[in-house]
Amino acid sequence: MPTVDIDPDELRALAGHDDVDDEELKDDLFGLGLEFEGRTEDGAFELEFAPDRLDRLSVEGVARSLRYQYGDARGVHVPSTNSAEWTIKVDDSVPDERPYVTGAVIRDVSLDEDGLDSLIQLQEKLHATMGRKRAKGAIGVHDLTMLKGASATDADTPTIEYVGVEPDEDRFVPLDSDAELTPAEVLEEHDTGRTYADLVSEYERYPAIYDDIGLFSFPPVINGRRTEVSTESRDLFVEMTGTDQWTIDKMLNIVCYALAARGATIEDVTVEYDDHEIVRPDLSTKTKSVPHKRIETILGLNLDPDEVIDLAERSGLEATKEDGEDADELVYEFTIPPYRVDVLHPLDVIDDLGRAYGFNELEPEYPDVGTVGGRHERSRLEDAARTQLVGLGFEDLLNFHMISEEENYERLDIAPDADAYGAGEAATIKEPYSEDFTMLRTWVMPSLLMVLERNTHRAYPQHLAEIGFTAAVDERENTGVTEQRHVGAALANHDAGYEDAKARLQALARRFDVELETPPTEHPTFISGRTASVVIDGEEVGVIGEVHPKVLVEHDLEVPVAAFEFELAALQ
Amino acid sequence: MQLPAAQVAVLEAASADEATFVDALAEATDLPPETVTGAVFELEAEGLVTVSERVDETITLTDEGREYAEIELPEISLYEAALEADADDDPVSMGQVIGASGLEGPQVDIALSNYARKGYGQIDSGEITADPDADPASDEEASALQALAAGEGLDDAEVRDQLERRGLLEISETTIREATVTDDGVTELMAGLETAETVGQVTPDLLTGGEWEDVEFAEYNVEADAEQFEGGRVHILRQTADRVKDVLVGMGFQEMEGPHVDADFWINDCLFMPQDHPARTHWDRFALEQPTHIDDLPEELVTDVERAHKEGVGPDGEGYHSPWDEDFARALALRGHTTSLSTRYLSGEEIGEIEPPARFFSVEKVYRNDTLDPTHLLEFFQIEGWVMAEDLSVRDLMGTFEEFYAQFGIEDIQFKPHYNPYTEPSFELFGTHPTTGELVEIGNSGIFREEMLEPLGVECDVMAWGLALERLLMLMYGFEDIRDIHGTLCDLELLRETEVTY
Repeated sequence: MPTVDIDPDELRALAGHDDVDDEELKDDLFGLGLEFEGRTEDGAFELEFAPDRLDRLSVEGVARSLRYQYGDARGVHVPSTNSAEWTIKVDDSVPDERPYVTGAVIRDVSLDEDGLDSLIQLQEKLHATMGRKRAKGAIGVHDLTMLKGASATDADTPTIEYVGVEPDEDRFVPLDSDAELTPAEVLEEHDTGRTYADLVSEYERYPAIYDDIGLFSFPPVINGRRTEVSTESRDLFVEMTGTDQWTIDKMLNIVCYALAARGATIEDVTVEYDDHEIVRPDLSTKTKSVPHKRIETILGLNLDPDEVIDLAERSGLEATKEDGEDADELVYEFTIPPYRVDVLHPLDVIDDLGRAYGFNELEPEYPDVGTVGGRHERSRLEDAARTQLVGLGFEDLLNFHMISEEENYERLDIAPDADAYGAGEAATIKEPYSEDFTMLRTWVMPSLLMVLERNTHRAYPQHLAEIGFTAAVDERENTGVTEQRHVGAALANHDAGYEDAKARLQALARRFDVELETPPTEHPTFISGRTASVVIDGEEVGVIGEVHPKVLVEHDLEVPVAAFEFELAALQ
Repeated sequence: MQLPAAQVAVLEAASADEATFVDALAEATDLPPETVTGAVFELEAEGLVTVSERVDETITLTDEGREYAEIELPEISLYEAALEADADDDPVSMGQVIGASGLEGPQVDIALSNYARKGYGQIDSGEITADPDADPASDEEASALQALAAGEGLDDAEVRDQLERRGLLEISETTIREATVTDDGVTELMAGLETAETVGQVTPDLLTGGEWEDVEFAEYNVEADAEQFEGGRVHILRQTADRVKDVLVGMGFQEMEGPHVDADFWINDCLFMPQDHPARTHWDRFALEQPTHIDDLPEELVTDVERAHKEGVGPDGEGYHSPWDEDFARALALRGHTTSLSTRYLSGEEIGEIEPPARFFSVEKVYRNDTLDPTHLLEFFQIEGWVMAEDLSVRDLMGTFEEFYAQFGIEDIQFKPHYNPYTEPSFELFGTHPTTGELVEIGNSGIFREEMLEPLGVECDVMAWGLALERLLMLMYGFEDIRDIHGTLCDLELLRETEVTY
């Protein structure tokens, strides 16, 4: 889960509670779902959070939540904004893959080192979460005084332009660099450029933002050095580009709330698309209607309407009674503040109310619902067969389903396309963890031999069995893969022979009342003349034999091994 | 008459004129004394010998007694040191004398408590005097110890009791038995005895021919360890899984079953997981290289799931602002959770429409591209469960878990509010480790979102949870490295030795 670093002193200051000591603070944060993981080198709290409340990705957001929890804040607060001076004009040349932009002007910020660090962390965390590593949304923050707005229509509306450029069309000095580079050069030569190159390298035209002086930002990769923000910066221009308007607008709201919490003034920006115009940030609230009864049902509580309204306000929401005087018909309209990105459904409001109430205050109750339990037939068959195998003296194993081609085929001397039991086309893994786990095993025998190989220092006899999952490509199946359980058994001992294996196979067949035949066959894993097909009720379903010395030596075994394997379903 | 070999030997070795000790009989017959004792009683029961018993006392020195016999009694050491310090004239400081005596630790107390009793002198107010007339050479206790150490006896009962009280000697009693051949015995001896045959094995002939009545069975060393036997046993993780299944079936749950290789649609899209969710990237899952896509998905359901993702559910619902592509949903992968079975069952795809109330579960394998370490495997078993009913509350969810985990000795379940894309409210479950008392995460749970249930056609509430079986196993058995148990690196010895639990 993601983590966020929060300076406890700054948190206390912003929350207005200098009186809370570190331990109390940790408990209060746990109550918000922020788990203390440790301290950073600078002594800040490292907090782990579930990625729903992205408005808590910075100290300002966490402080806001604490103020609600402490009861110092109630209801919904929306910062006021001044009307727009600046315009972002979206040009036709903008790449189709990244058509959206949003922005805001922030006035009168005073960022000390901590404030600047917090803003940088907030950007990074938003990039990592909502921004999907900048693919969906990327943030650029600029020093407004370094921008010169081109006047597009009249002198009062300074304008910057979001455009698409040829990869080598123009040059600018990116952050952390002294050289003038083209966007294409940034992707090759600049560290940050290389990191994010994949995001745009397929584009025909690269996204770029211009003011009257020239190119100053290459989203989503890097900003220009000219507009870099420092502790000296007083006015900021925040722009965000992305693949989805809602996502970047919400990211912008979270940044605006964080800066407003430090006393800044928010100023609107006009975004001018080809066919329409929008004003941002969009700090409008949303509403969700939730019936009183539904709240009571989900929480398993009887609540007074005033209590519901109180819980809502303590959660940073507002609730008004909408319909019905009768508690059975009562519906509330909840107001959701613009920084919340996680409220998709009325149910999400109920979760907030439950957290404000305290879920751990609820008394657990066993649901008074009668149902009849039972096992799946396949799993009953598997258990029955396993019980028989154990009774026949086999030690039950449990091996991995993922294996390598080498283990599955080569070390047992079979080819994937061989006409031999256990061969078959493998279901393969696209990006395996390691070369040991590249496919799903087509049979159980390789796993049994691997266990024997690993346990040559342990006492013999080793009578091993596994009823295990196997898979192979089969176009007739909907998933393209046939999945089976195989019964695999191996007898390793100084005098183990075909008859020992056959005796046990016969016993299994007899107990499940199926007809067993073992006509001779050839199989590369087994010794010629001591190998048979397992034919159950007339169907060829497996193989039995003495393992070939070639395979034994390959597995470092110094004792004979007799083995069989067949499809579990044949015992049905 | 026929008698077992041991009885014959004993009867022949014994005499009608004088009583013979069992030990002597054992020596004469070359049989173990316990065998001879057994034979003597058998013979007595048959009236061929008489047995007389007497109890003998044996006195042995304890380690401490042997030490004093070799060196000297601590009180004598003290007396000698006191004389040296001229305590026979005037009282001398006790500390000085003890220091000079070389006595240490408990011996100091032993010396002091016996000093005055035996008339070596007086101890008063921290000072010690020595009686010039006392004579260590005639100390009875010292002489008795030396006599015993030399293997001689000790007749003086008073001295013996005193030394026993001091823990310097031990008195043990042994029963001595003597046998004398009776007249009947002599008659039988004269008539001639036959030795009954000794056999090693009960055989069919022996039983059917009735010979077993006259034979004696060769004795075994019944205390010796037998050859180690392994036999078969169910794998410990399977056994744990079976126990979980038992508990769940007992709680009214029915078992689910379904494909390990499945379309992302069933694994993630039906769970209202946005397609650009970080968990759906290649880092976390095992996508298949071959085959790549599922053939068929239920068309109507695909449409409904896509709508839920894009537009949300209900008049106030909002969807995700994420792309949704059917081709992406059809991609095959190893399931990352068995919730894919839940979505298949809830949709009616597996066993038709399910009417509430219903409870379902599975204990099946899931696959995650995690880093392999002692507590993480690429494949592990997930316990999946859900309850479908009208109007379920989070209290029902909590009550169900408490009941379930209590079966495994895990009490005091704590619920931490959590976030999952497919449940709301959601809880992480924490439990107290039965032996270490640590608080450990044991599962994840919640009430399925309407955005998930509505497209699946479910019109009532469903609460669900998931838990790693290996986690439960490690809690129950205290294993440290799960790789010793599960997989081809397993150690047969560990599997063989794991204690049986139930």
